[in-house]
Amino acid sequence: MNYKLIFSISFSLMKARWRQTLVAAVGVTFSITMFIALLSFMTGLNGLLDGLILNRTPHVRIYNDIKPSKYQPVNLSGEYKQSHNFIKSVKSASGRQEIYNSAAILDMLRKDNRVTGVAPKIIAPVFFNAGTIDITGVINGIDVQSESTLFHFNDYIITGKPIDLKNVPNSIILGKGVAEKLLADPGDVVQVTTSQGDIMPLKVVGYFQSGLQDFDKVQCYTSINTAQKLLGKPNNYLTDIQVKLTDLNMAPAVAKEYGALFQADTEDIQTANSQFETGSFIRTLISYSVGITLLIVAGFGIYNILNMMIYEKMDAIAIMKATGFCGSDVNRIFIVIALSIGLFGGVAGLFLGFGVSVIIDQIPFRTAALPTITTFPVNYNPAYYFIGAIFSLVTTYFAGYFPARKASKVDPVVIIRGK
Amino acid sequence: MSEVILQASHINKSFHDPVTIPVLNDVSMSVNKGEFVSVVGRSGCGKSTLLYVLSTMDTDYEGQLWIDQQLVTNQKEKQLARIRNEKIGFVFQFHYLLNEFSVLRNVMLPGLKLNRYSEQETEHRAMERLKMLHIDELALKNANQLSGGQKQRVAIARALINDPAIIMGDEPTGNLDKKNGQLVFDIFRELSLQYQQTLLIVTHDPEFAGNTNRIIEMEDGRIIRQ
Repeated sequence: MNYKLIFSISFSLMKARWRQTLVAAVGVTFSITMFIALLSFMTGLNGLLDGLILNRTPHVRIYNDIKPSKYQPVNLSGEYKQSHNFIKSVKSASGRQEIYNSAAILDMLRKDNRVTGVAPKIIAPVFFNAGTIDITGVINGIDVQSESTLFHFNDYIITGKPIDLKNVPNSIILGKGVAEKLLADPGDVVQVTTSQGDIMPLKVVGYFQSGLQDFDKVQCYTSINTAQKLLGKPNNYLTDIQVKLTDLNMAPAVAKEYGALFQADTEDIQTANSQFETGSFIRTLISYSVGITLLIVAGFGIYNILNMMIYEKMDAIAIMKATGFCGSDVNRIFIVIALSIGLFGGVAGLFLGFGVSVIIDQIPFRTAALPTITTFPVNYNPAYYFIGAIFSLVTTYFAGYFPARKASKVDPVVIIRGK
Repeated sequence: MSEVILQASHINKSFHDPVTIPVLNDVSMSVNKGEFVSVVGRSGCGKSTLLYVLSTMDTDYEGQLWIDQQLVTNQKEKQLARIRNEKIGFVFQFHYLLNEFSVLRNVMLPGLKLNRYSEQETEHRAMERLKMLHIDELALKNANQLSGGQKQRVAIARALINDPAIIMGDEPTGNLDKKNGQLVFDIFRELSLQYQQTLLIVTHDPEFAGNTNRIIEMEDGRIIRQ
């Protein structure tokens, strides 16, 4: 097969109709540009919004919930096993909130190869004393390093250095809302009262802002040691173990397994935040459908132009067939035209799409909710460029397929005798 | 007896739309190498239909057809295209040159398709044929810049590019004025005499037919004289 000849004929036909060819190619370019820009921006935004939740939420959380005991004494008694027991006014047990044998659990979790990281935590409700009023708050005793690597704790510290929690004894990082209420500047000392009534002064080393107002009005952070001291507990006292897994989708199964294994309550990320996946999915779906619609419209443009070209070039097709070109040669000529439009339009579209993404990436986007974000988020995932390139070739191939088939079926006798 | 280039035996053909009308009725004929044959007959007698059957472009017929000793009946479309490319040169009433290409390129196209010679050689051969027809100075012009007579001469050059076994013409002078028609006829004559080119030309110009070696006369789908 003489491809050189096929290409040279295709390009001559395109050159003769370069204006229409250009319009068709621009159609493809435009749709690929929009496809790339839209997907990059949408998924960038998705990543940002998901990150708001995902970055901060452990995949599996191990804790002991306050709840009534599952096993009431009367049910355990052999004597009343056969009876139907009515128990009224059941109260939650004053069981310990600490996780039993936490050191061993941490050890085991760190060895589990499904786990990428573990962050222990102590959650303690407290009062901040400011003059005559008490402000309720929650102190999170955290391991700063693992909290930073696993949950991007660093990103949310707007004043001060997170590592100071570790380096400065009895230090605290206040939520922005709490700090505003307490009028506490870094370096100040705030009085904290625990639920047991113990009072402890803590030195403010920074502010924390998550972007969720209600969250920032309550949450404060100290090191685990400080929290243990504050509560008067030994240094193996932990109330929460946060686990990050290699694969997010394993979370429900792993949570169940750990719950049974460690005899503690567990919560997986899917249960904790069931809505976020739906949002991401819908946004991605919309981006894809808009992109593909644009491509199909561009495909119709190519279809029209090729159809027109074929009607115009009936004579040329007839004489080519008369002088020895077979149907498949003619078919190839028009497929080559369609694919060249797709290829050049598509490649230009990929570059333009990248350009538009870069421009979007420069547009300032500041919001109080997201202190680390200064411009619109863009996801430069090469997969979208790859999909765009494939789509542009596939749609143009199909747009060219039917006209090309028609051209290949032209009966030269009908055309030549018709004159 | 000289070599037979084209042989048709018992060709029957009917048009079926809207009603079945027989157009070729048991046509048998042959053309020998080097012959200059014309087919004449009244309009609608089936002479063009016969030519298109003989040209392999029309495959909807009964009977058998040999070109250059090779049976072409019931061959696949691809093979038929190859046979047309290699063995048959066409000159139609209309020139059918591609306006996108230069004259030279137009002439070269069937040669490039045949792919027997390199591109340079094909170009050289195309130039030779243009020179033979005294239109080599037009080689680099576009097809649409030529006059009608010039276009028809380019079409003849194109028909000659692959050294075909036979040249078939469907009213090649029908669209030309007297002078150009004479010019084209002279070219055919010269090809026949000097190069022993086999020619089969359909025409309704009695003067043209009269100057050929042999006249096949048709009436109502039959050959009445050959």
